Amino acid sequence: MNTLSNEEFAKEIMKLANETPSHGPIAYYDQDGDCIEFLSTPGNFYAERIDDLITVYYDEKTDEIIGSLVKDVSQFIKKNPRFAILVESGRVRLAHLFIAGLGSQTQEPNDIVIQTYKKLLEQAEETSVEAGFAVIN
Amino acid sequence: MYYRLVVYFSSTKSAGLFRWLINGLKIEAVDPITGKICCDVFISYERLHKFFKPRGLGAVLECRYCVPEVLQKPTAIFEGLCQNEDEPRNRGCGWRCYCGIPSHDYSEDGTALQPRKNKVFLVFVTEELVAYNWRWEKCCPDKPELPINYQTRFRDQKL
Repeated sequence: MNTLSNEEFAKEIMKLANETPSHGPIAYYDQDGDCIEFLSTPGNFYAERIDDLITVYYDEKTDEIIGSLVKDVSQFIKKNPRFAILVESGRVRLAHLFIAGLGSQTQEPNDIVIQTYKKLLEQAEETSVEAGFAVIN
Repeated sequence: MYYRLVVYFSSTKSAGLFRWLINGLKIEAVDPITGKICCDVFISYERLHKFFKPRGLGAVLECRYCVPEVLQKPTAIFEGLCQNEDEPRNRGCGWRCYCGIPSHDYSEDGTALQPRKNKVFLVFVTEELVAYNWRWEKCCPDKPELPINYQTRFRDQKL
């Protein structure tokens, strides 16, 4: 495979721009990053890592929580084997993962972290999102 | 669209483990050792399809312009995304974070805007040189070209 010039890269990327954007929640598991990304409302966001598991996505204009990146998902489940029950037929419900993440904290989380998890949990439950998932060895 | 077969021979991975085919676009990036544009990074086509395309033109343009710009003109490159001391050594240690301030940000409808105030753009790259995540984050108040808490969240600053 050849390395693309910036112009060729731009051309390839713009092929993606031809379809109408969707407005529903998005969640997907990225095997390269071993992470699950979740957006309850597609839009521009900035990110802030709150602990070892979760990076929160905030709406760029309103600072409202609109999503998250759950990092090292398979490592998290390997470190906490009891949470393997969260994975059913290769899929994991995000709401369950947030509860497990909060429950596995070794130190008492502060109020901001708890409120953030609560908000993410609400959004995940409202949208019933789940992501396909595979444990990486 | 391009395809590649990723083969792990790294000591940090199971030797000879053949991975699945990955769709990707390969572009140039600065090598953190030489400081020159001489290494290739794969952009996760899967992320583009599943995460960026549904978000509309602005997100697509962000990838089109901001990702190459930061990979090729970074203000800093960090290595080692491990934060926990007990984090497995084979995860995240050789991973890189390219940091920069692109020329533009893009609104959801694709309008070019000034770069975000008090933010930096980060591109996260795995040991296998797959860019799996890119996003804006708050900058360090003292060094606005670097991400907040850069001192504690990365192992080394390579550039």
